[in-house]
Amino acid sequence: MISLSSYLFISFTLFIAGIAVMIARKNIIAMMLGIELILNSAALNFAAYSRFVNNNLEGHLMSLFIIVIAAAEAAVGLAIVIRFFQIKETIHIDDAAQLQS
Amino acid sequence: MFENTLFFLSATLTIVGAAGVVFSKNLMHACVLLLGSLFGIAGLYATIGADFLAASQLVIYAGGVVILMLFAVMLTGGSADSSNKFGIEKIPGMGSTKTYVIAGFSVLVISFTILKLMANFMKSYKAGELPAFSSTVEEIGTLLVTDHVLAFEISSILLLGALVGAAVIARPRKG
Amino acid sequence: MSPSLNEYLNQFEGHQKVIATVTEVLGFDATGLMTFIVFFTGAFVVVNVMALVGGLGTYAERKISADIQLRQGPNRVGPYGLLQFLADGVKMIMKEDIFPAQADKTLFNLAPLLALIGVFATLAVVPFSSGLTLANLNVGVFYLIGVSSLVGVAVFLGGYSANSKWSMLGGMRGASQIISYEVPVTISILTIVLISGGMSFGSFVGGQGGFPHEWYIFHNPFTFIGFFVFFVGMLAETNRAPFDLPEAESELVSGYHTEYTGMRFGLFALAEYIEVFVLCGVAAAAFLGGYRVPFNLGDGVVFVEKLGLPPIIGKNIGQVLQLGAFLTKTLFLYYVVIWVRWTFPRIRVDQVMTICWKYLTPLALFNLVGVTIWVFAFDGHSIWDVLGHMLSSGSGGGHH
Repeated sequence: MISLSSYLFISFTLFIAGIAVMIARKNIIAMMLGIELILNSAALNFAAYSRFVNNNLEGHLMSLFIIVIAAAEAAVGLAIVIRFFQIKETIHIDDAAQLQS
Repeated sequence: MFENTLFFLSATLTIVGAAGVVFSKNLMHACVLLLGSLFGIAGLYATIGADFLAASQLVIYAGGVVILMLFAVMLTGGSADSSNKFGIEKIPGMGSTKTYVIAGFSVLVISFTILKLMANFMKSYKAGELPAFSSTVEEIGTLLVTDHVLAFEISSILLLGALVGAAVIARPRKG
Repeated sequence: MSPSLNEYLNQFEGHQKVIATVTEVLGFDATGLMTFIVFFTGAFVVVNVMALVGGLGTYAERKISADIQLRQGPNRVGPYGLLQFLADGVKMIMKEDIFPAQADKTLFNLAPLLALIGVFATLAVVPFSSGLTLANLNVGVFYLIGVSSLVGVAVFLGGYSANSKWSMLGGMRGASQIISYEVPVTISILTIVLISGGMSFGSFVGGQGGFPHEWYIFHNPFTFIGFFVFFVGMLAETNRAPFDLPEAESELVSGYHTEYTGMRFGLFALAEYIEVFVLCGVAAAAFLGGYRVPFNLGDGVVFVEKLGLPPIIGKNIGQVLQLGAFLTKTLFLYYVVIWVRWTFPRIRVDQVMTICWKYLTPLALFNLVGVTIWVFAFDGHSIWDVLGHMLSSGSGGGHH
């Protein structure tokens, strides 16, 4: 009953939720929550495929690296957000438009 | 039967958490709901026998990322007046009707595309005779230092860079 | 060695018969159902007993502090004041449940529950004895570290949601302290993982023996240092003195639970005392031999063979001895934790971070490298094996 499609469906839902968060929100931290959701959906896909399709651990390793990258991204991203807030006193994404000129 | 129960519980937690992140009006609540969603994903990892992955998910997200997010919310949260010189709110709301409409349309388009792509995979693989669960810790350790040693080293350098970079960026400068 | 509760019970014929009978009565294979029932009962008993231990922890704290300060301590309710914690609990339940007007109600309700969930979830892998381990996960200790960090989130949320400056400062201090001290604690445990070759508590305890020279704390000089690094980090992670900055009474009223009243406050306190017990148990299992009893009395074979007892009684006597060994070590560490609290003054908030990042973390990393080299150079043998080998080969069969 529980097959690959179940996991793909959950990961699809997570991905869609993450995309929706990233588009609908104007708060940088809220957008980073969306990025976490998207990265997790990808990691879940890798683990599910490695269980149901080829039965080795390569998928688990990919998920591990994705978790590592997510942690690094969260650390650097939040540091940038805090620095940005110290300079501009805002975390609105539309305020970070200096490079658009 | 218990695996099915665990699967449904974790799936419900994951999806409800993700939906909560989308629709919550409060950033702090969104962070806590994200924590629930990540715990659900750890449960899903457990149902496919990825025990090491489930534990790493718990350690890294519950212990690290979510607390970091909460700190960032708190450090950027409090200020006296709530709009900047452009008339935009300093602490933006969690999205307006306009952004939600745009996001809804984008999600529709993206989901159709992805479903179109995934349809092939969904049909072709069935849950056949799956092998029993075994401990993945030793095998993952062996793979990390044999086949994937380059990726392992690169990710450690990435983490070091992230550590130093985050410390340098977030430090308040004098003057 | 039986890894968990179900597998321990499965080796007895009586339990097999019960499963067979239930299968006949119900008409389907009842193995899964019985596994669930056994696990549920075990979990229920363990959680309740640990809640009792948490309650008695408050009594022990007050009694030991009284002893150190030459006072009497609680002595009115029950014999020697033993039932004082029940009286306190009743008092807390009867108190008015106050919500601060500006508080975030959802998070304010959620925070004590998260703390308690995080602590109770760790109980699943604590090795009380070789039979009484609820789940012997392959990633046991890793799981424990992950789940117990929920307490950090709970402390932070409790401080944030109350909308009070004391709570806020206490919550910030608590969360930053907990996630900082996770680093040396995890690295110290990693050294034990290196020696024992597994992440489950079964392999931790299985690699040690009943006598002190077989424990991992005396395995080599690095693990000896590692134990103290772990212990100090553990004190900080559970917000115990001298690291109880999150609830420093003299500066922050009561820290992150300033605004909590009644049983919500009680849940925070309960979670703290149980977490101290669990982490003491982890220290005992990882460094002090866990449930191992000298002369292999723990597996009960001696009683069966020498005294002629039936296997079920022999095994259970062994289990009781193992439980006793584990509880002795854990409660000794628990005593030391309370002793430390009432002996040392509280340190400053910058000193907390200095101790973690400038002293404990480099020390833990040094230990990790040292243990790696030791395991590689001496093939995993302990220092006593190495010394004995050197003595016997150096002095030509000299006895030790």
